[in-house]
Amino acid sequence: MLLIHCPYCDERRPELEFGYAGEAHIARPPKPDDMTDAEWETYLFVRTNARGRHFERWRHIHGCGRFFNAVRDTVTDRFERTYKAGVPRPGEADGWTGETGGIV
Amino acid sequence: MADPVTIAWAPPAARYSLRTRAPQGLPPILASAPFADGHALGLGPDEWLLLLPDGTPPPVIDGLHALTDIGHRNLALLVEGPAAATLIQGGVALDLSLDTFPVSKATRTVHDGVEIILWRTGETAFRIEAWRSFAGHLHAALRLAAGDL
Ligand SMILES: [Zn+2]
Repeated sequence: MLLIHCPYCDERRPELEFGYAGEAHIARPPKPDDMTDAEWETYLFVRTNARGRHFERWRHIHGCGRFFNAVRDTVTDRFERTYKAGVPRPGEADGWTGETGGIV
Repeated sequence: MADPVTIAWAPPAARYSLRTRAPQGLPPILASAPFADGHALGLGPDEWLLLLPDGTPPPVIDGLHALTDIGHRNLALLVEGPAAATLIQGGVALDLSLDTFPVSKATRTVHDGVEIILWRTGETAFRIEAWRSFAGHLHAALRLAAGDL
């Protein structure tokens, strides 16, 4: 079983307490009326589908209940880092460049 | 010889779910603390379970908050005895040793597929809260496992 670090509980907890919630950092467009059908379709359905490092949402549904984000490698299934919802993608606002020091 | 573990239904209690972002006199996440005539359990960064004597009216909370009576939603089991942690460990994927799950720690988790709130009330004593419709299964699963101890 995977152990996933919840940034709110600040503990590594068993995978079965968590729910997966899709790709992270996808903001709802502020003015959907101004969008073409193709743009709206892209917002709704088109995802990165990364092979490798992926930024994604998880929810500690059978724990503290909170949504948070994770950096996971889709090839190795390794969680490089988790972080609270609402903070920028690691590497954008801080100096994070990879796995080192990110995992608890 | 005394039983290595006993499993008993907890007496009726008043239960309130409290949500607030300005906690005062409440324990941090994953901890418990005395509250009024009972206890508060820190389930999340802004969520607490208040366990109070049966019939206690809603407590007065300062500031913006949401308080919901969930007294009839849950039942609780009291699991006590030298083998209590070993028994619960059979269905819970958390490390229940005393250094990682000390006395007074509380958290929501899963026991054998049933969502529970696990609260360590003593070195050899736990209170397990579960939704009413799952409590029968939880009780049966614990009793079955206790037969193997
Ligand atoms: Zn959590």
